[in-house]
Amino acid sequence: MKISALVLLVAAFAMPVSPAFGAENDARGPVGTVPDAVAAALAAQTTAVQNDSDQTLHAMHDEMERARTRLVLPDADKPFFIQYRLLDLDVRSVTASFGALLSSSVARERVMSVDVRVGDYHLDSSNFLSEDGFQGFLGSTGEVGIDRDYNSLRQDLWLATDQAYKAAVTQMSLKQAFLRSLTKPPEIDDFSESSPVIKIQPHIEPDWTSRNWDDEARAASVALKDYPQLYGTRVTYYFIYATTYLMTSEGTTMRTSTSLASIEAALDTEADDGLPLHNFYAVYTAKPGELPDAATVSKALTQAATDLLVFRAGPLASDYTGPVLFDAPAAASVLAQVLEPSLSGARPPLSATQQYDSFMERVGGRNEWSGRIGTRVLPPTVTLVDDPTATDFQGRPLLGAYDIDDEGVKSQKVTLVENGMLKKMLMSRRPGPDFQISNGHARSAGLSDPRPLSSNLFFTSSAALSPDDLRQKFLAACKDDGQQWCIEVKRMDNPALAALRQQDFGDFMGELGGDIESGARMPLSLYRVYVSDGHEEPVREGVIEGLTIRSLRNILGIGNDSTVYTFMQNPTDGLAGTALGAFGSAQGGIPSTVVAPSLLFDEIEIRGFHGEPRRLPLVPAPPLK
Amino acid sequence: MMKSKYRGRISLTAAALLAMAWTCFAANRPPQKQADPAVLTAMQQELDRSFTTLSKADPPAYFISYTVSDRQYADVSGSNGALLSSTDDRGRWLETQTRVGSYQLDDTHKLPNQQPSWTSPGTSASLDDDIPVLRREIWRETDEQYRAAVQALIKVRTSQQVQVQTAEGAAADFSHETPQTYLGPRVEISVDRKPWEERVRRYTAEFSKSPAVLNSIATFTALATNQYQVNTEGTKLAFGQIHYRLELFVQSKAPDGMDIERYANFDWLDPKDAPDEKTVFASIHKLIEETEALDKAPLVDPYAGPALLTGRAAAVYFHEVFGHRAEGFRQKDINEGQTFTSKIGQQIFPDFISIKDDPTEKSLGGQMLLGYYPYDDEGVPAQDVHLVDNGVLKTFLMGRSPLINIPHSNGHGRRQLGYAPVARQGNLIVTSTNTMTDAQLRAKLIELIKQQDKPFGLLIDDIAGGFTFTGRGNPQAFQVQPLVVYKVFADGRPDELVRGVDIVGTPLVSLTKIVATGDKEEIFNGYCGAESGSVPVSAVAPAMLISEMEVQKKETSTDRPPILPPPAHDPDAKGQQ
Repeated sequence: MKISALVLLVAAFAMPVSPAFGAENDARGPVGTVPDAVAAALAAQTTAVQNDSDQTLHAMHDEMERARTRLVLPDADKPFFIQYRLLDLDVRSVTASFGALLSSSVARERVMSVDVRVGDYHLDSSNFLSEDGFQGFLGSTGEVGIDRDYNSLRQDLWLATDQAYKAAVTQMSLKQAFLRSLTKPPEIDDFSESSPVIKIQPHIEPDWTSRNWDDEARAASVALKDYPQLYGTRVTYYFIYATTYLMTSEGTTMRTSTSLASIEAALDTEADDGLPLHNFYAVYTAKPGELPDAATVSKALTQAATDLLVFRAGPLASDYTGPVLFDAPAAASVLAQVLEPSLSGARPPLSATQQYDSFMERVGGRNEWSGRIGTRVLPPTVTLVDDPTATDFQGRPLLGAYDIDDEGVKSQKVTLVENGMLKKMLMSRRPGPDFQISNGHARSAGLSDPRPLSSNLFFTSSAALSPDDLRQKFLAACKDDGQQWCIEVKRMDNPALAALRQQDFGDFMGELGGDIESGARMPLSLYRVYVSDGHEEPVREGVIEGLTIRSLRNILGIGNDSTVYTFMQNPTDGLAGTALGAFGSAQGGIPSTVVAPSLLFDEIEIRGFHGEPRRLPLVPAPPLK
Repeated sequence: MMKSKYRGRISLTAAALLAMAWTCFAANRPPQKQADPAVLTAMQQELDRSFTTLSKADPPAYFISYTVSDRQYADVSGSNGALLSSTDDRGRWLETQTRVGSYQLDDTHKLPNQQPSWTSPGTSASLDDDIPVLRREIWRETDEQYRAAVQALIKVRTSQQVQVQTAEGAAADFSHETPQTYLGPRVEISVDRKPWEERVRRYTAEFSKSPAVLNSIATFTALATNQYQVNTEGTKLAFGQIHYRLELFVQSKAPDGMDIERYANFDWLDPKDAPDEKTVFASIHKLIEETEALDKAPLVDPYAGPALLTGRAAAVYFHEVFGHRAEGFRQKDINEGQTFTSKIGQQIFPDFISIKDDPTEKSLGGQMLLGYYPYDDEGVPAQDVHLVDNGVLKTFLMGRSPLINIPHSNGHGRRQLGYAPVARQGNLIVTSTNTMTDAQLRAKLIELIKQQDKPFGLLIDDIAGGFTFTGRGNPQAFQVQPLVVYKVFADGRPDELVRGVDIVGTPLVSLTKIVATGDKEEIFNGYCGAESGSVPVSAVAPAMLISEMEVQKKETSTDRPPILPPPAHDPDAKGQQ
């Protein structure tokens, strides 16, 4: 067993599993004795799937039984909960630039994570952050053998369980000491009970052989050679097949398989005044074969390049306060950034230091809806639903769908806000002040701790306007406000996709960091729309200010043009569930969608560019052909 | 946080110049007139174009260099009887250096108490030989580096005005060197990973037979690097090196919680020289035996007295306590110990000891030397440098950062991909004129024990350094920690393995107390981590008898051994396969 940091960023995928896989054994409800249920499930596995030599669940079962019955330190509690998670990943990645291949790789990896808790459901060793803790010689998380064999996995699980148990015992005593220092310890339970789930699906073998992806990446990107004004381009094809294993001492036994395919491209340049600008393109499908062909991608990239050059020639944004119209894809991205931190009903971890809270503040992770159940949080016509069971919207697939969440709880449709009133929150098995029981929304990137996150988030209004009516309303509002022109946002930025280089990503985060909690948001394409004749003019470098969840209580107009916005939630532990969590890429991101219409706001602030641009390269770009 | 349990691994993004193999072609055949490889053409075109403009800019760039490392690798790893990973890949990495100012004072000038200014670690470059696309990558990196260098130079000039300069700080920032041209043939490897997948499974399964082995890893790596370099002084180089390596690593825990780790490695240049199964299994059994013995070994008590280092241990010891202190750039930095800065011409070792660093040697006594390279990472030919002659310090290892009295590089500017080169060791070779046979050395050790009236002496068989592995999150680059130590008794009792030894005092002092050496050289091949990253090195030395060395108990982990027995060795377990 060993660890690579990279692997840990590779996410678990939770996607709808096509009925064609069939042969599943879905036994819900209380189970008698755990070993019986597991034995039945394992028997089902062997009968349902021919030629399956996978020993993973056998090894997990045997080691868990040993730990459950015999793992105890003198003078310490026995574990009350043990959980094994394991990800089996096949990854293919191809990157090209201007028609030339930069990299092409195939990798196969397996990573496991062991969670052991002492205590009981009311008070256990989890959910506590402290600076001290158990320092073992091995972590409870790591890379394991890829043979799906029995012996090596048992050895790895044995050591990881031992380390996790010792860590839990240490953590429990630190937590109890901390609780004794509080005047009033929290009364919320640490962990909610949940019925075990048994579900074993057949393996899916990765299939990326049907097309020549190296050649497609070259062919898709070569057209950009016609745009010498572009400084750099990257087109990345990324495919992942993931089999997820989950076993708990409560009896949950799962093996599920999912896949994701993506094309993500970034292009950048500088305007004549030295200010950088970029554009990106992204498409996500469940399987590699469903991706658009090279000609289609090439056309889309050419369009992206053309758009970028139009913006390159545009004027700088000026400071502005007034009506702003967000087109549906931009509105969806804004909703993902603004709503996500407040959707979770789980309590935050107990923290012995203030660092956790201040970090969450900084990355826009503060929950504004906690404690507001039954109050109005959105306009009275709006309903907000998160539905991981929905697999498509008007024929377009919803990649945020899943059957069972990362804690082994069956996914549920949750109506969060009805007619503007906050009704429910997204729950994992970690209870919160308003709700105790999971509604199947625990999601995680890789093997990080699952948290309540959105899956397919639907924002709808009972008073939606047609696109024409909304635009008329927008122009009328501009006129009433005495403006010559108003601002329309067509797309929002995503630095995880747009940054060609690490330092660009750092610059972006630097620009946004600190302001994100006060509602700074980065648009990608910003237009002035003139009241006189409705014509549009692209502008550069504007930043939206003060767009927080409170801004959503009053929306001037809502369209009926809902579209599916697919995005990857950022896999970085700590960013999940924050405003920055909306910025991810296929490499490790959690597939999610927001289905939202265009939104018209009465008053939004845009800050224009006020800095000093750096000078252009002294040496002009070399020819591309 | 999560921790890697694996230590000795070559990071693939890291492996820079790997030992050897720019093949025999160069020696046997006259160089053929052939067109430059596309990548070199792109580099030269962009270099000429950039320098034309940037050398006239304000401030002017006075030196630009480009390096492209084209690496092809295969990596097969096993753990506890199963395959852990098996991959192969190819990548090109571009590094640019743009210096502004002058050779005397430029943007790289080290400022007291400040981190060096940011420089780009480089970027991946096109694998396809598409010259315009390669040029575009180079152009962009050059621009970034030039901008960063201009910023850095402003800081340097400001600091010069307000801060007192040290004597060595007055040395130039960059040395003038003769341009080099060499276009060698491209090297390639062709690796069938399947047999290695079976091998690493077998090797680690063998380890699992011992209940003492908690975890084992075996890793095979093959790497072919073709390095291309051009600079504005006229250097133009293309050369390749190939390296194969097998590493074995085991972890255990003594009953008191102390971590026990054993490691072995094999390095070779030609596939036919791969170690055979018999050799590898012998090594595995030795590691198991040592692990089991160390688990049971008693802890050592604080002690000062005579010690005998085997050749391999002595080689590592010299690398760590002398070699790093002989790296030239350290003499310029006031934050460094500068043990030897003013000691040139002085006796620092007994007069029978001489030390050289010779990266031009590919092998010694039929064994590969991992620190071989034809040109260093600043385009300077590797040179045999005599550091210590008959105990007298002669010079330092030099890259292109000169000292007042040593104005030129001696071909030791090295780096891991993405780092700026500094002076580093290659093949550090210690020789002696006062040699004894093993039996004589042992007799002499016993004599010293009696003379000093000590209850025992120490025999140090293996030493961990930053050398082969840096600890998890806790780099031990300059720590010297004996791993396999025996007590040797004067009264004829058999040697006793002990555990938990830390060398204390000033390690360097012990080197002045060398009494005699063995008559056989031993080689240690490993990766050494320091300021410019991890680079492949060798250290060679005979056994050393030291009249006084001080040791104490090392700190031990509080994490006890696992509560349950290993699953495969649990008499009460059910469900075994």
